[in-house]
Amino acid sequence: MTFDVVTTGIALLTYFGIFSLMAISLNLEYGLAGVPNFGKALFVSIGAYTAGVTYTRLLPIIAGHTPLNPCGETLGQALQLRSEIMQGQPVAGFVNFGITLVIAALIGGVVGYGLSYITLRLKEEWFLALVLLVGGEILRITVRGYSPIICASNGVAAVAQPFSFFDDVRTASVAYMLLVLVLALMAYIYAERLTRSPFGRLLKAIRESDRVAQSLGKDAARVRAQVMMIGSAMAAVAGVLFAVNIGFVSTNDYVVALTLDVWVMIVLGGMANHRGALLGVFIITVLDRATAVVAVQLSMSDISIEFNYVRFILFGVILLLMLRFRPQGILPEKPQTTQVADGFARTS
Amino acid sequence: MLEVRNLQKQFGGLTAVKDVSLTVPQGKIIGLIGPNGSGKSTLINVVSGIYPATSGAVWFKGDDITHLSPHQSFELGLGRGFQDASLFFQMTVLDNTLIPVKKQRGERPWLAPWWRSWLGEEKQNANRADEVLQQVLLRDHINKPAADLSGGQMKLLELARTFMGEPDMLLLDEPTAGVAPTLAYNIFEQIRLMRDQFGMTFLIVEHRLGILFDFVDWLYVMHMGEILAEGTPDEIMANERVRDVYFGD
Repeated sequence: MTFDVVTTGIALLTYFGIFSLMAISLNLEYGLAGVPNFGKALFVSIGAYTAGVTYTRLLPIIAGHTPLNPCGETLGQALQLRSEIMQGQPVAGFVNFGITLVIAALIGGVVGYGLSYITLRLKEEWFLALVLLVGGEILRITVRGYSPIICASNGVAAVAQPFSFFDDVRTASVAYMLLVLVLALMAYIYAERLTRSPFGRLLKAIRESDRVAQSLGKDAARVRAQVMMIGSAMAAVAGVLFAVNIGFVSTNDYVVALTLDVWVMIVLGGMANHRGALLGVFIITVLDRATAVVAVQLSMSDISIEFNYVRFILFGVILLLMLRFRPQGILPEKPQTTQVADGFARTS
Repeated sequence: MLEVRNLQKQFGGLTAVKDVSLTVPQGKIIGLIGPNGSGKSTLINVVSGIYPATSGAVWFKGDDITHLSPHQSFELGLGRGFQDASLFFQMTVLDNTLIPVKKQRGERPWLAPWWRSWLGEEKQNANRADEVLQQVLLRDHINKPAADLSGGQMKLLELARTFMGEPDMLLLDEPTAGVAPTLAYNIFEQIRLMRDQFGMTFLIVEHRLGILFDFVDWLYVMHMGEILAEGTPDEIMANERVRDVYFGD
């Protein structure tokens, strides 16, 4: 087997972009606001399932066809129709992709706001963590057993990325990688501006003490629900990009391990520092790809080691070492928030 | 300004506040004293909405605020300080001071990323914070993390920060706890200044009676969850029952 550096690089950067969205969203929620979102997979899966629904129902309508049942006897025809539309009608593909992103962000945002506002008014934030963790599993098991969404455990294939009309696969991959990186960059700029605004300062205050923030007139439950809405919408967008990148929507991809991967990324890089989060994403993505490549290479040889499990051990060790020796992450949080502080530094 | 009527607070079988009634007129500094465990802090927590009242009522500026949460009470003009220095330690002194400012455009998530929409307002708020910090002698520390301040400076920052929310009345729980005597006096002078210049009203829980008596207009004494006595500092000092509670028979 030959190792294609360019293809691996494209895949790595695409994953980097997608996971950057997830990590930035978690960094806003936990790093800044102290909301322990252990349901990241829930919101990512909302995006993926949305893509599963729009690609099988909406896409044919946009392209001027009658949607076919994607699960039953017409499975093959429906799959072929999707492929033909994505390759032959790029405008329909892009319109569907855009609408999918918007719907996913809306559903993710509404679910994020609703769940957290109700839960945070009842109990403290760790109760929300449990609700989200369990909620992700409930949704996954429900979707796996309920055919109309993504054909239950069979999943939905041919959820192609919008550049698949290019004849050259590599060109299509590079174009999609660039699209993902642009979206990740936009998310980074948005999060950075949010963090350095009075809203970011408010989130930090609530993280440090919601009791004190409330006594200073701040509705902590509502503000935390707002940041959950933003983070969940972002995670749902990442879910669409993730599903479209692999071209397949399956419940198997949105397990608790996905949530934990994103946690390792922000703990490693630096909580409440978005550059740190991106650094964490980069390191973990490289390690993830590297261990995957080594696993494949080993499986091709006579060595009988299941190397995929080394990845879990490695991430666990990284998490423990960081929490023990550098809990603030590689790039720690900066204390200053307000944009007008520099003026006072000069005059004082 | 504030009226507490027959307030009761029970934790399971324990009654921490028993049928307490008190009145705090506008522009006055009222002290609330009593031995440890007499229910002072619980009373403050119920009045400010941190603990729900078991029975009774709290009225503030003509509104029944008994069932309001702390942020709703703050919106109406009732602020509070905590026994422990309750700063946002990882944030700068300036950021700490800007938090309580009401109705900030930049705190709305849909406006926050568009800096132009709130930067002018932020500058105005920061200028006001600068003046307030100068008043409490913390201007030189404006861009330092709050964690780097001394205990007394932390208390002063807490006072300045609460003031930034423009409250009509402040509930203060031991504002001089853990502070050197000179600085403790300074804190009370700042409180009196706020009252004299801005007409603010104070209800203060304090153990340093020597300093407190120099500044308060009226005192309530709590014991075993009840109001034992009330009066001017001279009347309270002369009260036998109060002496018994503090010094024994």
